[in-house]
Amino acid sequence: MDPLVFALILAAALVIIFVRKRWVIVLSYSVAFLATAALFAHHVTDALNVSF
Amino acid sequence: MAAPVPLEQRNMVLGKLGFWAQVAFLVAYIGVLSGAMFFFQFALNEQPCPLCITQRMGMMLSSLGAVYVLVQSLRSTLSTSGFMTGLGFSIVGALLGAFMSARQILLHIAPGDPGYGEAVFGLHLYSWALVSFVVVLVFAGVILVFGTEFTPIAPTSPAARRIVWIIIWIFVATVAINLVVVFVEEGFNLYLPDNPVRYELLYQLGILK
Repeated sequence: MDPLVFALILAAALVIIFVRKRWVIVLSYSVAFLATAALFAHHVTDALNVSF
Repeated sequence: MAAPVPLEQRNMVLGKLGFWAQVAFLVAYIGVLSGAMFFFQFALNEQPCPLCITQRMGMMLSSLGAVYVLVQSLRSTLSTSGFMTGLGFSIVGALLGAFMSARQILLHIAPGDPGYGEAVFGLHLYSWALVSFVVVLVFAGVILVFGTEFTPIAPTSPAARRIVWIIIWIFVATVAINLVVVFVEEGFNLYLPDNPVRYELLYQLGILK
């Protein structure tokens, strides 16, 4: 999944450079952002071993 | 969409300062990402963990804000709302990255835990990552305090403009190289292991045994 998320970030960067419509840019950034957040959520699988 | 503020109504010095501040932001993150990859990963042979990789992604998402602002500014199409969009990209990217690095700090916060990887000036890389994300949040917050004063004005010198375009493309190359490197590290597995110790693709293809 990690290469896929990097590909989405790369795509967002290229969209920012080559596409002039702002909604396309915001959409591509949002997709990359959500994919990164989902990958992070996948890796948060266990409770932290800390107590305060 | 709000129209660009006429150039003659703008403070040129603050506008140019705003432009080069965005360039400095992008250069700083290119340096951090390249240092993490070329020095710690390749020179010291420290395999990045899954959370380290997600923090790199957070830095890239945050940097996309600066890329957006610089590209629009170089094309003279940067409106006030466009500038806010760029700062918004930087802020939400930095917030996500800060959550990631805070999570990793808490994973290693227990007394006696050696942490993950080498410490640099007493702090591990994920702690420095949190510092960098906080710096981005303060940077964007301070710019927003001044409203439109720091809306970037691109230089007119062709040489300066070319340099900024080169920096933008170096950032794109950094993302692309990270994509390739993480693919070699992850191989055809769906996710990275918690503590990666080798480049999976090289073993899966039989290049290394």
